[in-house]
Amino acid sequence: MIAVLGLVAGVVIGLFVQPSVPAAVVPYLPIAVVAALDAVFGGVRAMLDGIFDDKVFVVSFLSNVVVAALIVFLGDQLGVGSQLSTGVVVVLGIRIFSNAAAIRRHVFRA
Amino acid sequence: MTLLTTVMDQSLDEGYAAAARARGEEGRRRLPTTTRGKLVLALGLALAAVVVTVSGVNAHESEPALAKEKDALVKRVTDATAAADRLQRDVEAARTQVEQQQRRALSESGGATGLDTLNGTVGTGAVTGPGVKLVISDASDSASGGGTDPRTSGGFGGGRLRDRDLQLIVNGLWEAGAEAIAINGQRLTALSPIRAAGDAILVDNRPLVPPYTLLAVGDEKRLPGAFQDSMGGHYLRLLQDNVGIKATVSGQHALDLPAAVGFTLRLAVPEPPSPSPSGAPGPGPGAAGSGATGPGSGSPATPSTPSTSSTTGVPKP
Repeated sequence: MIAVLGLVAGVVIGLFVQPSVPAAVVPYLPIAVVAALDAVFGGVRAMLDGIFDDKVFVVSFLSNVVVAALIVFLGDQLGVGSQLSTGVVVVLGIRIFSNAAAIRRHVFRA
Repeated sequence: MTLLTTVMDQSLDEGYAAAARARGEEGRRRLPTTTRGKLVLALGLALAAVVVTVSGVNAHESEPALAKEKDALVKRVTDATAAADRLQRDVEAARTQVEQQQRRALSESGGATGLDTLNGTVGTGAVTGPGVKLVISDASDSASGGGTDPRTSGGFGGGRLRDRDLQLIVNGLWEAGAEAIAINGQRLTALSPIRAAGDAILVDNRPLVPPYTLLAVGDEKRLPGAFQDSMGGHYLRLLQDNVGIKATVSGQHALDLPAAVGFTLRLAVPEPPSPSPSGAPGPGPGAAGSGATGPGSGSPATPSTPSTSSTTGVPKP
């Protein structure tokens, strides 16, 4: 219940407060989105596996965002930012897909 | 490959398994039961939701900005096009004005009719009148007959009309008394070259596509016969008999020949006021256009001056 409230609160904050994204952070927004989706899918899969842990969920999400942003930041400084951000998106995308496949196996038994 | 395999196999964060092992309750816990655990989960979900929502809102906000940018660009393009059109209209107006001034200056010195006649003769003015129509097409068994792409075949093969042939035929028409000639809508002047470039015949540097239609204004009755008797006519018959090039000559009651394009006035000399205001026949002062000055370099189709004093072709207004 509280979890659903948190989800709704997040959407409402994003919609109505409309925090203007600073220009310096804009390049990292797609990375953050992919990391957030990865964390959510991972959490759902862990829940279905019966090994969910709230602390791991939050920490893995935060650390994923930070590490991905760091990689892209480093790439920007070296002039290969877009390539590295592609790499991050590919790796996290593969994880999202295989987690989604695991969830599908749990739900549909197929 | 190991990197990719690792990514594929360990899609779930290893922290989950480690935490479950530490608690020793692997495979039983599905959702946090304690209030603290629920709050932490809610916090994580809220964070993820904020990130995704903000990104979505941002994408939707930037949409109108992009559209506005595009609109501005489109507006700039249309503005520039309109400005170019305006300038073009200005040029047209100035050209008409120059023409009118020329005409007035000529009529003051009494040479207006001379200019019209000269324009028709030289090729800078459109003319209409009776004449002959001569349609020449390549032999049907030639490598590239009518309409095929000249680039695909290599050189002028047998049965194809060459630039030299066209030069001779055009000269035959001039010789027969033609006053104005146009090939496929390209008016010939004294400076119009008939050349070959690659595999195509160029008139005034514009490529022609077979069949070649030659329109010649002149005496409708006399011109066809005179052409048959001229050197060009003999040559054309030779081509027909030996190579298979097809040609048809037909007299026409009314032919419309366009003015030559891309003509620049190269020399204009003010004429000293002539003693007789009635105006001597001959070129007016402004009429010393490029068509009348100097032989065209490499221009094969030099018109022989029509011997008749009265011209059949009338300048178009």
